[in-house]
Amino acid sequence: MHALLGPNASGKSTLTFSIMSFPEYEITYGKILFEGKDITHLPIEEKAKLGIALAFQNPPAIKGVKLSHLLKRISKQPLDMNYFSQDNDLLEREINVGFSGGEKRLSEIMQILSLNPKLAIFDEIDAGLDVINLEKLIWIIQDKLTRSGVSLLLITHRGNILQFLEPNVAHVLLHGEIVCSSRN
Amino acid sequence: MKNAENVKSASYVQINHEIRSIFAKEGVILLSSPEAYATLEWTRNYFNQKPIEGYFIWVKKKSGASNKHMLHDFFTKSLSKSNKPSSCRKRYFHRNLQRLQRCKTNLKCRTQRLFKGNSQRKFYAQNEAFPQLGKNDHVLSSIEFILEKGAKLSSFYKCINPPKKFKIESKTTLDNESSADFETAVLAKNGEIEMYESLFLNGEKSSGMIKLRMISDENSKISSHSKIVAKGGGKGHIDCMGLLLSESSFINSTPELVNANKNAVLTHEAAIGKISEEELNYLRSRGLSKDEAVNLIVTGFLGEVPV
Repeated sequence: MHALLGPNASGKSTLTFSIMSFPEYEITYGKILFEGKDITHLPIEEKAKLGIALAFQNPPAIKGVKLSHLLKRISKQPLDMNYFSQDNDLLEREINVGFSGGEKRLSEIMQILSLNPKLAIFDEIDAGLDVINLEKLIWIIQDKLTRSGVSLLLITHRGNILQFLEPNVAHVLLHGEIVCSSRN
Repeated sequence: MKNAENVKSASYVQINHEIRSIFAKEGVILLSSPEAYATLEWTRNYFNQKPIEGYFIWVKKKSGASNKHMLHDFFTKSLSKSNKPSSCRKRYFHRNLQRLQRCKTNLKCRTQRLFKGNSQRKFYAQNEAFPQLGKNDHVLSSIEFILEKGAKLSSFYKCINPPKKFKIESKTTLDNESSADFETAVLAKNGEIEMYESLFLNGEKSSGMIKLRMISDENSKISSHSKIVAKGGGKGHIDCMGLLLSESSFINSTPELVNANKNAVLTHEAAIGKISEEELNYLRSRGLSKDEAVNLIVTGFLGEVPV
């Protein structure tokens, strides 16, 4: 588990979107290696199929498409609803349309779990969460991802979540560069 | 009619200008418009002029008929039990259209529906039969709703396989405390769609909504003109959204609000654009290809026919 910390506009989200090959971001130098393979210029969906999953900080609304419908389309494994027994209503709502901050995070984690990834990138997943929802999120990450050996990249600028999820390595990003790293 | 037993409440079959059959269960009066005009004097109030064709349907209160949708466009009901035409009927129907085409005659469907006071009707239509009206067919569909005091109407119409040229006209007049909500979703490809929808809020506390979802795919053109006129005090809203999928797409959408009553509130919102890259990238990050992501967004945009 790696943590990436940095102030606003340090380049944290830019890094995640570049890793995922979003068209607005062009990699001009260096390579992205995943399981020993150069995936630098693979399209977004190919990287997702390889096992890289991104939980968005500000996911867009997809009107007219229910969350349950999307989960059905992308699922590589059935979603364990024991974790979301109180969230059934969320599944029948349009993706991110009118979702609260906590509901957006839940929606993202549901999709991440459905994808059964090898690497999960969480872009400020703790932002805007109350204590109860943060604890729930941490519990799910630990139980379903960490214990299953899924690699995690936690991106945060507050670091609150790191009190509960202890990374193996922490990096500090400043002006687009990693200025220091510390191994636990 | 062979499949009449499967018709829920009423059926009217017309090929070219010839009425082939009329069927209506108890509680429903279904007549050709000329016959209605001739035999039911009170219906003349609802015709601008003496009709020469078309049908007139009257659903009597407490008829036992379902409050839900019971009327399909007569093209669809004429073909088969399940609205999916069998092969032989398809050929027959298509032959007629080809004859129409050679005669350079457009296919026209004009209907008028009157909703008496305190009635509620939901009208859902998804024109699965229109795949037969394909590459070279021109169709005009004209419908008028008259809502008397307290009547309520919900209409959902979805057309994803339109004919080459498709013109849809609807006019709705609302009396006191009546309401009408129209949702129309169309997808055009290699053809043209024109839509003219108008609501006349004539009564006090009448309300109406026109919601349009338009998708223009390659080599297509969609024009819509939505109009709400308020003479009585009430509320009206127009919501028009359009998506352009290709370089050869075109959408022209004109919302029009006419308010002659200071107690009426009329609003509109309209937007036409392309599919958001942000939404596409989001879905692609879930492993969907670009085409799959586009299809999912388009399906969601057009909406589902309510159950």
